[in-house]
Amino acid sequence: MTLLLTILLAVLPMPGTRFQQLPPGPGKAEVEAACYQCHAADLLAQQRLTEKQWTASVEKMVRWGANVPERDKSAIVTYLARHYGPGNRFVPVKTATLK
Amino acid sequence: MDRRTFLAAAAAAALAPVAAFAAPERHLLQMGGYPLNAETPLELLTDYLTPNDLFFVRSHWIPRMPDPKTWRLDVNGKQLSLADLRKLPRAEATCVLMCAGNGRALHEPVLPGVQWRYGAVGNARWSGVRVRDVLARAGVGKGAKHLHLFGSDDPPGKVPPFHRSIEMEKALDDCILAFEMNGKPLPLQHGAPLRLVVPGWAGDHWMKWVVRMTSSDEPQKGFFMDTAYRWPLQPGAPGVSFKPEEMKPVTELFVKSNITTAPKQTRKGVIADIRGFAFSGAPDIARVEVSDDGGATWQRALLDNRHAPNAWRLWHLRWTPKRTGRITLLARATDSRGAVQPRSATWNQSGYLYNAWHSVDVEVTA
Repeated sequence: MTLLLTILLAVLPMPGTRFQQLPPGPGKAEVEAACYQCHAADLLAQQRLTEKQWTASVEKMVRWGANVPERDKSAIVTYLARHYGPGNRFVPVKTATLK
Repeated sequence: MDRRTFLAAAAAAALAPVAAFAAPERHLLQMGGYPLNAETPLELLTDYLTPNDLFFVRSHWIPRMPDPKTWRLDVNGKQLSLADLRKLPRAEATCVLMCAGNGRALHEPVLPGVQWRYGAVGNARWSGVRVRDVLARAGVGKGAKHLHLFGSDDPPGKVPPFHRSIEMEKALDDCILAFEMNGKPLPLQHGAPLRLVVPGWAGDHWMKWVVRMTSSDEPQKGFFMDTAYRWPLQPGAPGVSFKPEEMKPVTELFVKSNITTAPKQTRKGVIADIRGFAFSGAPDIARVEVSDDGGATWQRALLDNRHAPNAWRLWHLRWTPKRTGRITLLARATDSRGAVQPRSATWNQSGYLYNAWHSVDVEVTA
């Protein structure tokens, strides 16, 4: 909760920031728990990676301290590869300019 | 607002559907909500000086909020306040800042990371003080080979901090510690109160939120020096990766031009206004050319006369389509050292310095 508050406080002053939602499906809760520690959904949603590349990315983030239970890893990789695989098309959200 | 109300409001803001907000005409493209990463829509990059509110934002992590009264820059243990810095001779540079990863999304095969397309670049007037004057003020001798830089954005846990170093030769040559951007106080998202300006070099060197500098004979260590922001000594075929020791740090920008303005539809024989910008790690741009026949022939664009070393050149071309159908316009720049923008960019494993010919399609009717 402290980390969440820190992140919200850090982000809220930026007037243009908009938050996206991840699509529903198996693995969504595990992805949110793992990735939202340091990233917003849009960083995930813009990727177009193979399952092999997603596995490498998740492993890298675990090395960097992401708190990911071993049992959640395959659900996370499967979800990310299914929604944000090579065929993914990402359209960035238009945000207000930053004064 | 009590804590519960605050959390409810924050949650409501987080859950609000994106489509409910009307997108403003003048906008940024959000590539990451936190830490904040956003690029400028290419069609809005038409000014010689990119306005501060439109300038792309690249953040590795979230900085501490600076208090100007207590803020100090630590230089080899010597503490300098903002007032101390402002007593030094004022220095200014108008030059391009481009994220090393600008265009990463255009590389094939696809790479992980922020999927920048065209707009992680801008040109601004940076004002502050010379690094060499700051080092002299702090009593740092000129012997050391590297200058290590630390910002206030250290991340939590085991995430590697964005600690960097730059060769002292470059730092002493033309680098500036800036506290103003386009004549206004440097905005927080651009590194307030102090950021490094490294003319002609990629944005990874332009440390934001600088709080500490130390001189050393060795380069900085860590992920963002030893693994990231490196370029192959001898680039291979697309998809071929190299070990860190087979690579060198990314430094100078490659010659690059983009088309910012072209009609989506026009008519054969009618003059159309084609505009764009061009820049390089070399001090200036020698020419920009546009092709409407796949690169067989090129028409020379007119360069705007506004310029400074490592600033971009705006350019324009009065183009008359001579046939109907879909015509692809290509732009390529040549810099003052003779380097020519290539048809294809050099693929590299982190997706840096994309600079292939930029293309725009125009529908031409009779």
